Amino acid sequence: MVRSVILTAAVLAACAVFFVFVERYVGGEFGEFYGAVEELYEKTEAGSATQEDARAVRAMWEDKRSKLHVFIPHNDISYLDYRLNEAFACLYTGSYAAALANLEIVMQMAKTVPGNYVIKPENIF
Amino acid sequence: MALIFVRTAVIFLALLAVMRLMGKSQIGEMQPFELVITLLIAELACIPMADTSVPLMYGVISIAAMFVLHQLVWLLNLWIKPLKTVICGRPSVVINRQGIDEYQLKKNNLEVSDLIESMRAAGYFNLDDVYYGLYEANGSFSALGKKEKGASLAVTLIDGGKVNEHNLEQSGLTRERLDGMLKERNTAAKKVLVMTLDGNGRIYLQRRGRPYEILHAEGTARW
Repeated sequence: MVRSVILTAAVLAACAVFFVFVERYVGGEFGEFYGAVEELYEKTEAGSATQEDARAVRAMWEDKRSKLHVFIPHNDISYLDYRLNEAFACLYTGSYAAALANLEIVMQMAKTVPGNYVIKPENIF
Repeated sequence: MALIFVRTAVIFLALLAVMRLMGKSQIGEMQPFELVITLLIAELACIPMADTSVPLMYGVISIAAMFVLHQLVWLLNLWIKPLKTVICGRPSVVINRQGIDEYQLKKNNLEVSDLIESMRAAGYFNLDDVYYGLYEANGSFSALGKKEKGASLAVTLIDGGKVNEHNLEQSGLTRERLDGMLKERNTAAKKVLVMTLDGNGRIYLQRRGRPYEILHAEGTARW
């Protein structure tokens, strides 16, 4: 029985540590991503965003995306991908207003998606 | 991830409560929480496996949650005895020396026909072949049998106040004769919990809220 108690406590503790790690990791990754998109948004607003800026954000996102797939449902990531690609396409064609609209959505998602997986009554039920 | 863990725990508790409320008729050879785990674990493993939009990690976390919950329930059962009754239930004595305990049967969502079926599965073909019969917490049936068992199969003539016309015809009794027999005892079919007749003309009669009686009927069919 002692073995079972220790095993249960160990699994529970490991789960708790893992959950804290995941929450911080996902929050941190989205936080960094949000910062990069925000910077791109400001440049776009000022009309100074270039294709290189967009490529840098894309490279950053692709690196983070491959890791976030482990923790976040793939549909959320696909939707973020879609909006980001829309924004980049608009930037490449010089449609800054449309790019801003899509970047705004991406920023909002980067802010809210991690919160969807935090223990809160509205998420549980 | 922690959210998946908590959501699994909520589903587990809800299912466990429902299983306990359903009573023993819905459980077979398993404790309620074991059945809940069996029901959940297959789904939890299957959904992330089949649905590629769900990370596989969600399945792993759910299964880890099930393991932790199983261990917690098991430990609580060991440490806090009253909690074991709440989680797993307790055995129900459905047959005692007075006959069938209708209250215990109803409490477990069972009918007399279910009891007769359980008895047959346990090797007893007459209701008075046992001193005591009980449903264990896991839903299995146990009985303390009498040394001498009836040598004939009993058929149910009245079950829960309803006359089984088919069995009545097979046994060679008429409705008039049955009603006459009941009238002799100042009762009617609707007041009878159970009445069976075996191939030797031996009748087991139990009125609602009364101990059982053994009667003999002449001129019935023999089998």
